[in-house]
Amino acid sequence: MEQLKTIGRELAMSSQGGFGQSKEFLDLIKSIGETRSKAEEDRIVLREIDTLKARLSSPNTPKFKLKEYLMRLIYVEMLGHDASFGYIHAVKMTHDESLSLKRTGYLAVTLFLNEDHDLIILIVNTIQKDLKSDNYLVVCAALNAVCRLINEETIPAVLPQVVELLGHQKEAVRKKAVMALHRFYQRSPGSVSHLISNFRKRLCDNDPGVMAASLCPLFDLIVIDVNSYKDLTVSFVNILKQVAERRLPKSYDYHQMPAPFIQIKLLKILSLLGNGDKKSSEQMYTILGDIIRKCDSDSNIGNAVLYECICCVSSIHPNPKLLESAADTISKFLKSDSHNLKYLGIDALGRLIRISPEIAEQHQLAVIDCLEDPDDTLKRKTFDLLYKMTKSSNVEVIVDRMIDYMISINDHHYKTEIASRCVELAEQFAPSNQWFIQTMNKVFEHAGDLVNPKVAHNLMRLIAEGFGEDDDTADSQLRSSAVESYLRIIGEPKLPSNFLQVICWVLGEYGTADGKYSASYITGKLCDATEAHSTDDTVKAYAVTALMKIYSFEIAAGRKVDMLPECQSLIEELLASSSTDLQQRAYELQAVICLDARAVENIMPMDANCEDIEIDKNLSFLDAYVQESLEKGAQPYIPEDVRSGLSNISNFRSQDHESSTHALRFEAYELPKPSVPSKVPSVLSSSAELVPITQPSYVAEVHQPASSALTVSSSGSSELKLRLEGVQKKWGRPAFSSTTPSPSSSDTFGSNNGTTQHESISSTKSKVHNVSYDSRKQQTEVSSEKKKLAASLFGGASKSDRKQSYSGQKVSKTNSHASDKSIIAEATSSSDTAAVRPTSQPPPDLLDLGEQTVTSSAPSVDPFKQLEGLLNLTQDTTNLSSSGVSMPDAPDLMSIYADMSSSSQSTTVAPPPNVTKAHLAKQPSKGSNVQEFLEKDALVRQVGVTPSGQNPNLFKDLLD
Amino acid sequence: MIRGVIVMNDRGKPRLVKFYEFQPAEKQQELIRSIYRVLCSRAENVSNFVKVDSLFGPDVRLVYKTYATLYFVFIFDSSENELAMLDLMQVFVEALDKCFSNVCEIDVVFNFNKVHTILDEFILGGQVLETNSSEVVKTVEEISKFFLPPQLCVCLISFRYSYGYDLLFYAGSRGLQIQSWAVHQFLAGSGDSIFIALVTSFITILC
Repeated sequence: MEQLKTIGRELAMSSQGGFGQSKEFLDLIKSIGETRSKAEEDRIVLREIDTLKARLSSPNTPKFKLKEYLMRLIYVEMLGHDASFGYIHAVKMTHDESLSLKRTGYLAVTLFLNEDHDLIILIVNTIQKDLKSDNYLVVCAALNAVCRLINEETIPAVLPQVVELLGHQKEAVRKKAVMALHRFYQRSPGSVSHLISNFRKRLCDNDPGVMAASLCPLFDLIVIDVNSYKDLTVSFVNILKQVAERRLPKSYDYHQMPAPFIQIKLLKILSLLGNGDKKSSEQMYTILGDIIRKCDSDSNIGNAVLYECICCVSSIHPNPKLLESAADTISKFLKSDSHNLKYLGIDALGRLIRISPEIAEQHQLAVIDCLEDPDDTLKRKTFDLLYKMTKSSNVEVIVDRMIDYMISINDHHYKTEIASRCVELAEQFAPSNQWFIQTMNKVFEHAGDLVNPKVAHNLMRLIAEGFGEDDDTADSQLRSSAVESYLRIIGEPKLPSNFLQVICWVLGEYGTADGKYSASYITGKLCDATEAHSTDDTVKAYAVTALMKIYSFEIAAGRKVDMLPECQSLIEELLASSSTDLQQRAYELQAVICLDARAVENIMPMDANCEDIEIDKNLSFLDAYVQESLEKGAQPYIPEDVRSGLSNISNFRSQDHESSTHALRFEAYELPKPSVPSKVPSVLSSSAELVPITQPSYVAEVHQPASSALTVSSSGSSELKLRLEGVQKKWGRPAFSSTTPSPSSSDTFGSNNGTTQHESISSTKSKVHNVSYDSRKQQTEVSSEKKKLAASLFGGASKSDRKQSYSGQKVSKTNSHASDKSIIAEATSSSDTAAVRPTSQPPPDLLDLGEQTVTSSAPSVDPFKQLEGLLNLTQDTTNLSSSGVSMPDAPDLMSIYADMSSSSQSTTVAPPPNVTKAHLAKQPSKGSNVQEFLEKDALVRQVGVTPSGQNPNLFKDLLD
Repeated sequence: MIRGVIVMNDRGKPRLVKFYEFQPAEKQQELIRSIYRVLCSRAENVSNFVKVDSLFGPDVRLVYKTYATLYFVFIFDSSENELAMLDLMQVFVEALDKCFSNVCEIDVVFNFNKVHTILDEFILGGQVLETNSSEVVKTVEEISKFFLPPQLCVCLISFRYSYGYDLLFYAGSRGLQIQSWAVHQFLAGSGDSIFIALVTSFITILC
């Protein structure tokens, strides 16, 4: 009897909770809980893993023990250790007859395996069997597993059973079957598209639980395609009515609310259905009003429903009565002590001001409280709100606040977001150039590495072009203030690379322009900067080019250049640099300095970075050369499509290649630029011999001979020529196409295109944000700082301002339209984007939003006249670009371009596309006249100014 | 859709981890660590919401709440309502409380398979399936009828070998059936008193 008692006691201890485990497991958990260090824990877990390995694989472990081991295995993996050795045991356990073991097996596999794991195939059979089981608990277990483990390929294996289960007598099974089907739809919409009507059917299920379950897939379906479900609006409204009138069983009540979770889901669906649809919205007004009135705002869940109502009201066609009660609710939220409610209030406010902007004003103090709240989540939400309501009258306050906050946080992700928002707002609403530059400086200083590099490019462009006004003095003022601020900043010890690039460029371009600072002062600063950031090759490249500009301006102005000793040593260091780009820049600098004033002036004209460069796209200057070669007996050029005869396939392939080059950036495999061009033929002939044994996948080697076809033929050796043709036929095609966008220039394409797109997006956005707020009822007593802040945030929008922003809207609308058009034009030329882009690139200043705000805020000029002008101009460019697209011989152009881009081994410089052309066009004949080449090249650089960031570093890797 | 549910203690040890979209083990650990870092830095009396788009992608939010030594964390996207998630969490904890009678950390960690079972009744494939804790408790009890403590299994199996009776077959239907079966066996003269005593002691433990 004694013995029995002890057994009984032990049993009682372990059976606690009914899912009992052994003492061993308890000990394991305890010992891990008591560990002091991670290393100690790891030791214990590793020991445990060894034990489990041995026990799981021993053949005579009883099944119930196996179950416990599996649980321990899950535990071990939850702690972050590899348990893959036991996966197969988990799979085996799913085959077991007993429900408890089967459930454990399913739990383990759902936690261990992803849906593409090899072992899944071993489970599908079991799942199929279990779905047919008589025991509904087994069916439920299998459905749980189905939701997690079935992938696109295995869906057909279980689909029939799951569909059958939709009609199962147990509502728990029906519910899970609906969810499983929904999961299939998420995984692969195509494989269950014929079964979607089942979701509609389940909406009428007798059991409210199943109905609620079917709302989940319907919500997803409506998100994708509203229009096919408009007919259900009435049903949803009816269901919501029934729920709100407590027609559902009492068991669905929660905190005295009738089925609040179902209400929330339904409200979400209704807000989608009513969005922009007056007829559907009208059906919802009554029920929405009822719910808002009835809702109990003391409980958490009541507020959840209320919040959902506000979201719905702000999404559907506006109804003044509902908007009013929504605004009341919002003010209740904002006044509440609960941070959760304040958070929701701010979020709801952000939604509602899109429709009725004036309500923001009543809550200004509450919003400012939230801005100063210690709760970070609330703060961020408030910044989201401010971002949405920024306009030209409050941009300064908001952006300043944002920058302060940006400086105070460490979270990189959010810092990036705020920085880009600051930039966006500043570009959109900047009240003055001065302010814009200062703001940008701040953003760059504190988050320069996080912002998009194209922002830096935009800033440079802005400084170069001014704000587009014809007022030269304003522009030069802008520049000299920029130079001044940069000279102050450049000495700081830690500056982001992006920002330094901008600084170097501006100093090089305009440092000596106003005569305030001497050349030696600025060059000294530049040298100091490169010394302080000696690891950054891109900055060095910018600095060297800046030095070159300053020296050549000096020479052109007739002054004598005496190089500072630190400059001298810098250049000497770069002459021996392992980066070919830096080397080349240093050599060029040396060469330029030795030239006379007239030549230098041609190479580096003052302030010429905005001038266009003419491009001979047909490369007609090569005609004589080609003629000469043909007379000498060279093979005439055969267009690509004729050559291969399989133009379709090759086109497809070339596109394929193109995209892959975009994605992978093969820059490193381009040929390094030889500094002495006359070397080229010999290098090429040797590499041409290499070709037949080279792997075709090695792009650089392969394209080399193909590209040299033009240049080499002059070297005469017919044997060599023959070989090259052979090579060309065999390997040339893919090589041609794969190098089509020379990586460095494709980089620029991307960013150019990105810019236009970005601008068009932001201009469409501006339509949304540009809503002006009326401030008729602005409070007069301004005593506290808070009220001042409130006024600056919310008030100050006078009537004239309103009109201005309206015209601004107009402009942005047309602009976005125009730029859309040009983007479309670009898109249509998909087969030869590279060839067309240069022409279709719209003039940047037209789309520049900064300029646009300025024009719109010039009160003396009729905004519509201006608008007209803008419109015409934009249309012109659009026409131009589309005519570029429709050119019949575009593919030919493309192939020429491809030839050229590969023949000029200009990997290191990344000027804008049109500039590349000029550069490329020049190169083949350059051998004779270095000076001319240098001039062109320098001009190119001056305009383009974008030393590609990646290249030098990649080369370093190769060379090391 | 709900992206994941995590229960961890106030020292960052995971007690229950469930992601509705597969995450490799290392990624899971990283996410748990980053979430723990975020939660630690939160002051008291602030909102229960955190934006976690840096970890999970745009517009993904997290709701957390502390119950005694445990953090409960739900991660979800914009198709769910924050406050409603907070309530769902409350319902989940209520269900745990009913199943374990005064749930504490050791219950959750020691019986995490049962916690998983409970959670699976609430959320399936990232969608909310059930929101009533009593319903869930009912289902879970039904399932746990099929679960037996391992020691009991040992005894049952030893019965099988020493007496030749397959008790395991009856184990699923718990107390009464086993007892009536045992009495029946006794009356039929095929058992002895120790056997009856053992069975009765099981029943007292089980019921």
